[in-house]
Amino acid sequence: MRRPRRPDAGAVRALVVALVIVILAPAVARSVLRAQEERPNVVRALELENDGKYREAAVLFRGEVHVAPSPNAVLGLERVYAELGMSDSLLAPLDTLIAQFPRESLYRTVQLRTLQILRRDDPLREAFERWVRAVPRDAAPYREYARLLIQLGRPATADSIVARGRLALGSLRDLEYENAQLRAAMGEWVASAQSWRRALVEAPHLAMAASFALAPAPQGVRDSVRTALASLPVDAGPRRALAELELTWNRPQQAWDALRVLRPDTSVATVWEEFGARAATEERWSIAHDAFVAALAVRRSPGLAANAANAALRVGALSDVFTLVPLDSHELDSSHVAREYLPLHVAALVRLHRGADADALIARYDRFLVPAQRMRLAQQTAMAWVRAGDLSRARTALHAAGPEADSSEAAGWLALYDGRLGAARRLLRGSPSPSADLALAMGLLARATGDSAPQLGAAFLALARGDSAVAAAQFVESATEHPEVASALLLTAARLHASHPAEAIPVWQRIVTEHPDAPEAAESELEWARALRARGDTAGAAAHLEHLILSAPQSALLPQARRELELVRGAVPPGS
Amino acid sequence: MFQTFLRRTAIAAFALVLPLSTARGQRLLIPMDDGQTNHLKAYGLTYNAMKTGLQAEWLLNYRGGSFLLPDAPEIRRRAALDGIATEPVNDGQLAALRKEMAGGNMESVPLEKAPRIAVYTPPDQQPWDDAVTLALKYAGIEYTPIYDEQVEQGDLVKYDWLHLHHEDFTGQFNKFQLGYRDAPWFREMVAKNAAMAKQLGYASVPGLKKDVAERIRAFVERGGFLFAMCGATETLELAIAGHDVDIAGEFADGSPMDPDADAKMNWKRALAFKDVHLEHSPFVNSMSDIDGHQVNVPGRRQPLGTFTLFNFSAKFDPVPSMLVQDHRSVINDYYGVTTSFTKATLKPGDVVLATEEGAPWVKYIHGDYGKGTWTFLGGHDPEDPQHAIGNPPTDLSLHKSSPGYRLILNNVLFPAAKKKPLKT
Repeated sequence: MRRPRRPDAGAVRALVVALVIVILAPAVARSVLRAQEERPNVVRALELENDGKYREAAVLFRGEVHVAPSPNAVLGLERVYAELGMSDSLLAPLDTLIAQFPRESLYRTVQLRTLQILRRDDPLREAFERWVRAVPRDAAPYREYARLLIQLGRPATADSIVARGRLALGSLRDLEYENAQLRAAMGEWVASAQSWRRALVEAPHLAMAASFALAPAPQGVRDSVRTALASLPVDAGPRRALAELELTWNRPQQAWDALRVLRPDTSVATVWEEFGARAATEERWSIAHDAFVAALAVRRSPGLAANAANAALRVGALSDVFTLVPLDSHELDSSHVAREYLPLHVAALVRLHRGADADALIARYDRFLVPAQRMRLAQQTAMAWVRAGDLSRARTALHAAGPEADSSEAAGWLALYDGRLGAARRLLRGSPSPSADLALAMGLLARATGDSAPQLGAAFLALARGDSAVAAAQFVESATEHPEVASALLLTAARLHASHPAEAIPVWQRIVTEHPDAPEAAESELEWARALRARGDTAGAAAHLEHLILSAPQSALLPQARRELELVRGAVPPGS
Repeated sequence: MFQTFLRRTAIAAFALVLPLSTARGQRLLIPMDDGQTNHLKAYGLTYNAMKTGLQAEWLLNYRGGSFLLPDAPEIRRRAALDGIATEPVNDGQLAALRKEMAGGNMESVPLEKAPRIAVYTPPDQQPWDDAVTLALKYAGIEYTPIYDEQVEQGDLVKYDWLHLHHEDFTGQFNKFQLGYRDAPWFREMVAKNAAMAKQLGYASVPGLKKDVAERIRAFVERGGFLFAMCGATETLELAIAGHDVDIAGEFADGSPMDPDADAKMNWKRALAFKDVHLEHSPFVNSMSDIDGHQVNVPGRRQPLGTFTLFNFSAKFDPVPSMLVQDHRSVINDYYGVTTSFTKATLKPGDVVLATEEGAPWVKYIHGDYGKGTWTFLGGHDPEDPQHAIGNPPTDLSLHKSSPGYRLILNNVLFPAAKKKPLKT
């Protein structure tokens, strides 16, 4: 007869899998390592389980548990029975195994877990008591039972078990992890952090678990949690947990501060490198730079050096690039240098407006470059010349890199700076590297009519040269010449004045009054209101926000406008 | 230029109200079910409509406890500004709506006069420190902050509705000296209260607070509406019942608590509780066994669950019905100095509005006292379940549809309801 599948079999299996992974990770790891030595039937059963053939796997696992019990066989049987909703069938074989091996903690643990899954509270407690009697000086029964109780949401009972274990064992030393989890579950955050601090010294791999447990700590106690984890001596486990917590609490700099004080060695260098990679992924380049450089000082590798140099570029530490990835390094041959390090050097030189040096460097490594690399580098140097105001040398650089470079994005930018809108549209459209500048240019080009616009080109050129004041003035003047895109040009000018609201306000005002139906009107009015609020004119800000909400009810900016209005009215906490 | 802008604003507003002038007799339904985009501000809209003399109706149990307002330009304007969902209802639709309500557990309650609201709060307190002022501020409902000085001057007669939050009316500062004795904010609070007691002629802070509690009791007895949350619920009752008993610890008034205080308490004078056991230890951060959760006592602290609002007959029990109007009936619990009320301490006449299934406590209670009414809601902030001191204030623009905060705002509107004869 087919055994009815329990409605929560999926959840039970998920729980079993999670417990096996989290709690028995070391045992499983050992089992996996020994898998090659396992008996053929266990190996076959594992394969069947992987294929989802749980019934067939159960037959083999069960046979092995009877004949030659091993952790893999017992854990396998536990998993497939959970999948089949037959966890109760595990109890009899476990009783037999425990009778044979009363001190084997794995079988006892599986027994507790099975009874917990079956919600048999009284037998669960009795099994725990029998285990304690079998190994009275062992922390394992207290540990496993307390963990189950925490997971069951019964912290008070778990607390009593941990307290009993402490009495029986003479200290909390072997129950620190459980005590730490328990204190967190009961909202005793500082006590939990102190317990985690002790637990993590012996088990640094629990750093992530500690950060998960402590993350909900309320703002008011977080400093105390930090103090507990950061207490001396400096240990890797607590520091990693603190770093994770700080990241969770959105304090990345403090996260790095927690790690940077670790005593440098190769394992710490790995921690730093991983942290740097994570910071880079989140585009926190300053922190990534510090972490990569610290790791590099301990353990050098070309990839790490390139990551550090890339981060240095991002944070504007341009001269650092030359020392982080030296071209005369012996760690790479010339072709690899050309591929890995040269682009970083060229990028730094371009940013330093040293176009001539960049050209010379590219020429020096020319024989190691493939055409695509050569073109990319030529585009970079062309942009350097543009920034230096030398458009003719920029064109020369592109010509030298071949016809492909001359039809590239850089060529498109040059066309735009010349005011040749048609060519600029064509060349920039296929750009492989989207950027804010490109989005702005394409947005304006799409709306501007005609093929020639020297003044608009001059505005973009001023922008490329970093002269935002001149660029803003040019965009405003262009608005008169290009009424079809006037509101967008004016808004671009206003954005360039963002840090000088006094200059931006007349531009916003012009957009709102002269182009009330343009999509830019809503953004202008919102920014205008924000500027007024910042200077303390709450009545003026409220008037503009109300006008925006009432006149543009379909605007995507409405939630922001309402939010601003609430701040202006004092309806929500300031700074929230 | 700005004149041009104002002209355009006027044109925009005119364009907005133009359809209204052609839709005379039309009403605006403010739905309060999941179709509403800002439940909390909808209360402010209704309150302010009443305040300007417009008639409102509260449609109990209809689409989450909706409101029906006249279709006036200013109401449309304010709804648009605040992002409140409204639905125009013509005469035919209104007739159908009323027919539907007549056939179910629903009732229309006219709201006729905006209550005059006072909030008992220290003068230097920010609105963000108290869930009710937070909600009132967010919803745009005006209130007057009052404190000991105003209460002692007899100012309570000026108001219809009074709110109390986490004031400790036993004068023991919520026993925060156990954890915050040296914290600057705590020392400042103690000093200010001591100075106020002295200024008003009392020997100690407990003496002053007891008298304030007595005046609040009299306010309710005379017909006032009282709404209390958090620790104010429990300590107000202790102060009233212990009017003639020393229930404050030595640190508060210089003398230890009367060892026979339990026996000397006069619970007949209290609003909601009876047979309460006081916490006699000055080292235990608890006042009594009224609170079921005992959040600040590690060994007694109970975990948070969920509480369920009771469903009342809208036609026969309109008052409790108003107090539980919500678009959710099960709400996550939240801690406060007093989080819940143990069933064993409730007076027999108390109306339980919300409870946690299987737990020995309830969350939300209401009752009559003299000519007035009181309502107690446990916990501090419905959207900040743990609420530790120093936590950032709750930003209600992130909780526009908070079902917990709706309970608070129900209390603000219910005194506006026109009393109808019961349909018995």
